[in-house]
Formats: sequence, C-alpha cells, structure tokens
Amino acid sequence: MSTEHDDPLQTFIAESRELLLQMEEALLDMESRPNDPETINAIFRAAHTIKGSAGLFGLDHIVAFTHVAESVLDRVRNNEIALDPGLGALLLQAGDHLGQLIELLAAQGSPDATVKAGGQALLEQLEAYLATAHASPATVRAEVPAAHTGQCTVDSPRWHISLRFGPDVLRHGMDPASILRYLATLGEISAIRSITDATPMLAEIDPEACYLGFEIAFASDRAATDIDGAFEFIRDDCLIHLLAPHAPLDDYRRMLEALDKDVGMRDILLALGSLSAAEVAALDAEAPTSEAAVEAEAGGSEPAENSAKETRTAENSLIRVDAGKLDQLINLVGELIIAGAGASMVARNSKLPALIEATTLVSRLVEDVRDSALTLRMVQIGATFNRFRRVVRDVAKEIGKDIALDIRGGDTELDKTVVEKIGDPLTHIVRNSMDHGIEPAEVRLARGKPATGQLRLNAFHESGSIVIEVSDDGGGLNKERILRKAIERGLIGESQVLSDKEIFNLVFEPGFSTAEQVSKLSGRGVGMDVVKRNIMALRGTVDIESVEGVGTTVRIRLPLTLAIIDGFMVGVGNAAYVLPLDMVLECIELPNNLDPRHDSANYLNLRGGVLPFIRLREQFEIDAPPPVRENIVVVQYAGQRAGLVVDRLMGEFQTVIKPLGKVFSQIRGIGGSTILGSGEVALILDIPGLVRQVTRQSQPAAAGSTETCTTGST
Amino acid sequence: MHSPAPTATAAQPAEPRQYLTFTLGGEMFAVETLSVKEIIEFGQITTVPMMPPSIRGVINLRGAVVPVIDLKARFGAPATEVTRRTCIVIIELGAADDHQVIGIVVDTVSEVLEIPQAEIEPPPAFGARIRADFISGMGKIAGRFVILLDMGRVLSVDELATLSAFAERPEPALAAG
Repeated sequence: MSTEHDDPLQTFIAESRELLLQMEEALLDMESRPNDPETINAIFRAAHTIKGSAGLFGLDHIVAFTHVAESVLDRVRNNEIALDPGLGALLLQAGDHLGQLIELLAAQGSPDATVKAGGQALLEQLEAYLATAHASPATVRAEVPAAHTGQCTVDSPRWHISLRFGPDVLRHGMDPASILRYLATLGEISAIRSITDATPMLAEIDPEACYLGFEIAFASDRAATDIDGAFEFIRDDCLIHLLAPHAPLDDYRRMLEALDKDVGMRDILLALGSLSAAEVAALDAEAPTSEAAVEAEAGGSEPAENSAKETRTAENSLIRVDAGKLDQLINLVGELIIAGAGASMVARNSKLPALIEATTLVSRLVEDVRDSALTLRMVQIGATFNRFRRVVRDVAKEIGKDIALDIRGGDTELDKTVVEKIGDPLTHIVRNSMDHGIEPAEVRLARGKPATGQLRLNAFHESGSIVIEVSDDGGGLNKERILRKAIERGLIGESQVLSDKEIFNLVFEPGFSTAEQVSKLSGRGVGMDVVKRNIMALRGTVDIESVEGVGTTVRIRLPLTLAIIDGFMVGVGNAAYVLPLDMVLECIELPNNLDPRHDSANYLNLRGGVLPFIRLREQFEIDAPPPVRENIVVVQYAGQRAGLVVDRLMGEFQTVIKPLGKVFSQIRGIGGSTILGSGEVALILDIPGLVRQVTRQSQPAAAGSTETCTTGST
Repeated sequence: MHSPAPTATAAQPAEPRQYLTFTLGGEMFAVETLSVKEIIEFGQITTVPMMPPSIRGVINLRGAVVPVIDLKARFGAPATEVTRRTCIVIIELGAADDHQVIGIVVDTVSEVLEIPQAEIEPPPAFGARIRADFISGMGKIAGRFVILLDMGRVLSVDELATLSAFAERPEPALAAG
C-alpha cells in the first residue's frame, strides 16, 4: 500500500487546491450575497471534503485545522451565527493557511514554527465563534430519534456501524485500516469485530481484493454527517450501515435483512453491546410493524443522498486526463493533417474524380478532428479571472481605494498553456491599473466620477485570436509625462514625433516607470517590459489605449493555441520558409534599381519611410541564382518594420509547428519547422531573432550602417 | 548522453553483438544494431541555413522532424556526394527521458554482422583519421579492420549544438556587405 500512497496523495493535493479555490470564490461571493444557503453549503462541502481526504492520508494537522473551520461553517449553515465580513475575512485567511499546508505537503515539507503560529492564531479566532457551539451536535442529532418516538428503540448509547468493504476498495487506493484510524479521531471505538465470512478458499483469493467487514460499536458525540463523512470515499463500493444511538429496533432489523439475515450477526451485535439479549429476542419476534414508518424513514434520508449523487454525477461528467496524453493526441492529429494534405495532393495529380472526392471528404473530417482535438486543450478563462477578485479585494484594501471588479467573458476559451502563462502578466497589469490608474476617492469625486473605481476584465474571441482587456476608469496615461520620461531616459530623441499609440507603448520599454512615487505594489519600472516579453513569448501582442482623465485599457491579443499558426510561405531557391502571418504587413516587388551587384545598401524607400531589409539568399547562403524579379515581404514586430527579400510568394496556410530538437537549440533566426503537404520540411522563420542576428553582424563590420538596421524603422 | 566508450567492450564478453556495417568514402564502419532504428533512402532533405557542413539538414520521418548529420563532414572530410546508393541510417540515442533520433548520411549500407568480443581490439591512439574518442573499438572481419563507432560521441547533441552556434557567426560576417 505504501508504494501506492503517492499517487492518491497527488490527487488529494490537486483536488484540495481546486476546492480551496472554490471555497475562496464562494467566500468572495458571500460578500455580495450574504446568507445564500447554496453558497454556504458549497464552502462547507469544500472544507468537509478536504478534511475527509486529509483524514484518509493521516494528515492530522490538516484535519485538526479544517475541523475547526468546518465546525464554524456548520454553525453558519445552521443559521446559528451570521457570516459577517469579519468572519468572511477570517475564513479567507483560514483558506490561505490551508493552502499553505497543502503546498508544504506538495513540497514534502512540514509546517515550521511561523506557519504553526499563524495556524494557532487563526484557530483561536475561529474557536471564538464556536464558544457557544458545543451543544449543537446534540441538537442536530435530537431530531432523528424524535422522528421515531413511539417506536421501539434500543438502549445502547453508542453508534453501531456495520461495514462491508467492496472487493475493489484496495484497488481504489483506500486502506480500511486508515478509515478506522480516521474514525477513531471522531470518537472511541468501544468494540469491534472483524467479519471475514466473505473470504473465499485460499486458492480463489485475489490478493488485490478486499474481503473484510467490520461491526463497530462507536462512542461519539459528533453529528451523523461527521461520522458519515469518514466513509465519503468508499461509499460507492461498500455496504455501510450507520445506526445512531438509541436507533429504532427496526433499523437493526433492516440492517440484518440487508446483510442476508446472517444468524451469526445477532451474536456479534450482542457481543458488541449494541443490542441487549432482550432486544435480540424482540428483533426476531416482532415483524415490521408499520410500512408507513419504513417509508417515512426512507423518505427522510433520501433527499440528502440524492443531492450527494447529483454532485457526484456532475463530477463524473468531467474526466481528468494526463496533459501528456492530450499533447500526444494533438501531435498525432497534426501528423494526420499532414498525411491528409499529402493524400489530397496525390489525388489531385491523379485526376481521378472519385479519389479526389474521397480525399476531400477525408480532409474535411480531419479538419473537424483537429478542431475538436484542439478544443480538448481549451479551458475557460473564467477561473483565471476569478482569481483576480481576491487580488483586487486585497489590493484595494491595502491601498485604501474602493474598487469594484467587473468580470466579463469568463466563458471565453483558450489554450491551457496560454492560460497558465497569462496569469502573471495579467496580475501585473491589474495591479498597475489599481495602483496608478484609479485615483483616490477624493480625486475621483473632485473629477465628478463615482467614488468607487471600476476595473473591468474582459475576454472575447476576435478573428482567430483571443483578446483580453483590462480597463479602468482612472486617470489615464499622461502623454506629456511619458514623453518627458522617455527623453530623460534616452529612449527617444527630443525632436521625435510619435503617435499616441507609440507614446503609450513606451511604457513597455525596459526601465520605464512614470509613477511619481514608488509603492509596494508597482512603480519600480521592472514590470511592464517583463509583461510585454511574456506576452510576446506566447506570440501575443499588447496595446494600450488611454484617454487622460477617463481611463485606460490594456489590450492583450493572444493566439488561440500555441501548436498551430497561420503561416505565410515564401520560397528562396528550392527552399520554402514559413513566416508567421500576423507579422506580415505587405508584399512588394523589389525595385530593379536595387540590384545587389551594383548597390550594396540594404534599405529602400517605402512610401517615404526607410525600410531596412534582409536578403534571405545571402543570409542563408543559398547557391541558386536569383530570379529576374524578387519580392520583399514587409514584416513588423514590436513596432519595428523590416523587409525580407525572397524569390517567390507562395501564399498563406495553416501549419502545425514542430520543434527542431536539441541539435538546433543554439540556432538563431529559425523558430521551428513544419511539414508541408508534399512531405517536405519547411522551416519557420523567427523574425525577431533573424533581425537581431543581422543587426549584430552589421555592427562590427560596418559601423555606419548600424543606424539603418536598429532605429531607422521606428 | 555520453554513452561511455567501454560499453561495447566491457559488458557480457560471451554475447557476440550485432553490428550494421556501412561504407563512407571507401572506408568501412559499423554501428551496433541496437541503436539503429531504420534505414531509409536518401530523399527530400531540407537544408537548415547557417549550419556547419556536418549538419546536413532535417527530414520528415513519418511526421517527426529529424536532423540529419553528414558523417563524412563530421569526420573532417568534404561533404558526402549523393549517389543512387546513398542512405540515411536513423539512429536512436539516449534513455527514455533524453531521447534523440538522428539520421546519418552514409555512402552505402553493407550488411549486419555478428562480431564476437574476442575479435574486437581497443581503438588505436592515433592513425585512424577520425577522432579517437569517436571509436569504440576495431572489429576484425575476414582479416580486415572495421571501425566500430561510438554513436553517443559522434552524435553528441551538446557538441553538435555548440558547433551550430559557432558556425553562424564567422561565415556570414564575410558575406554581409
């Protein structure tokens, strides 16, 4: 078992993280809609499940802490105390502490003194809410026996638990012993009998199957839900009877019926002290008195069970899949596309109508397969956005501003890898907006705006990419100040005339910060250039739109997926190269008067602007003679324009990116490769890398020409 | 990555190992068949620009992009001339977590031979015309010596990557005018 311990533990960690996120979300919801029973239940369930699972792994410190939080939540659920903002904040902190414990577990560390002290402080605060609570389990329990007054109840003051483990329990990673251990934390196991009747003959024993059963007399003053919770994870596989203290005799009778009227059971019940001799005798004598009572009992317990089932089926409709398997599938689909394109080409060349028709159908289906395979990796951005509710809440408190967060388009989907990597840049932008964008309340009122600042996160799809907007209704960017700063820092010349957009984009330059005062959150000028770099690494772009006094919008545009790009194919000699289509601005013919044999200057006049260009033939040392007419593809990246001289323009197509592998890890100017329909490999150009490389080459060689390559095109 | 040279000589002296022999510029070489994945015809190969001559380019091996190394150029001779009998031997290197598939260009593929350990001599310190650390041993076949290549060294990915990084700078500096 111990070797199998690791995997379920990882699942526990992942699950707990998710549950904590849900809990946090629900707690934040509570601030706007207090006392919504569904939300309170959600919080309670999350805490409860974490406690239950932690118990299974013997993580006592987590169980102990969660138990207190859960008890407080239970009181909230029973309307014994109100969830006021104070308690909400406390529970948020408790959630953070739990998160800390889980992360420590993930890192295989154990909580140090400060963590423990923090936990203790939280516990004390939480227990204050419990001070009057100790009577509560009794009140909950009191209802059940009350329903059966008038019926014959047993004398035993203890719970009786009858467990029959299903054969698959061990295979599911559950250990009966650990369940009993957990049970022991809830009360005292006063007597126990192992039931081994189900064990087959030695020859038929499956060593991985579980044949065990237990009859337990259990002394505890905990609520039924707590005890029941111990079996949370085995309920589906096992036969469990949980009989309350002083349960009606009928319950015992039903239990015995369910257990195949095992005669030996009576002795066991007697031995455990769950039933007295007289009661056992009564059990046999008395036939079930009223069907109605049975019905009522069944009706009483069903709704709870049903709701539990419902949540379970909702979970069942989701499958956790290893990301590696998904990647493999997408790779295979990529190959299928390539193979399909090859087949179509052969079919077209064969000029057989039936074959062409068949391959067309196949290609269409393959495209559908590709689209749905890609959607497997798609996740909604809502979860990422929701994280910001906490960020905004905390930061707003910290800087003493009143800021409302408005989230839209949370159901917009994008690639999982992109979602994972966009979190940090987004946090930075959001913090910037809150810190520098939105003005303090006095200033806002003076400017005639509502005192509460508005921050909006929005996401939507637009022409094959996803757009994420962070907008605020704050002070906007001050163009004058940006320009002054840029000149001061030597980023631009004093006489340079820039468009608004170019001015705003200056804030993404390294070492740029216009904040008059550096705060704890932002303003050190280390952020925005990193933000831009991160977004560029995802093949995305970022823009700022701002109106002074009205607000700022930061717009991030990202590709839907990292595996496939829209490419533009060009030919030089016999080789084909692919450029990312979103970088291509236009294509023009290379003017004849720029023959390299007469003129070595690598720039031309494009509608009045200087356009430096790279002759791919020379750069790549391709031997084939140049054709009569060459073309220039004008590309743009990071605000710079450059031309690439190529022989042929071969049009655009969608392409699956294949990495070039380790041998080419040092290469500059080539970003990857793709396989064409003909089976040939085409290289994808990395334009920023290529331009950087050319720039570097020309610096030591010809000092005079550096200017044209580096700054000429802004 | 650097599968050490003694692997061919030290382990299990009793078991004769199988080697694939091929010729390169008239000379015979052999690689252990364990590392050979397949042999394909020399076909459509995409040149990767700004690479040293020993890195010939990349090919499409059923959907995977595989680098192809010109062994002759790697050994310091001029690049291999392509003929009707030129082949690409696909070599698999490394363990599961550091798995590499690389193709090598050879003039002709000859045959698969079993060479008993007793027939394998240690590599000579010099005189073999190729770097001594590329050789794992000298196999005797019908009185002739065959150079048994240590593919881990010959196709050292780290070394190839460093080569490619060096190659890009000095050459274009002359061409850029």
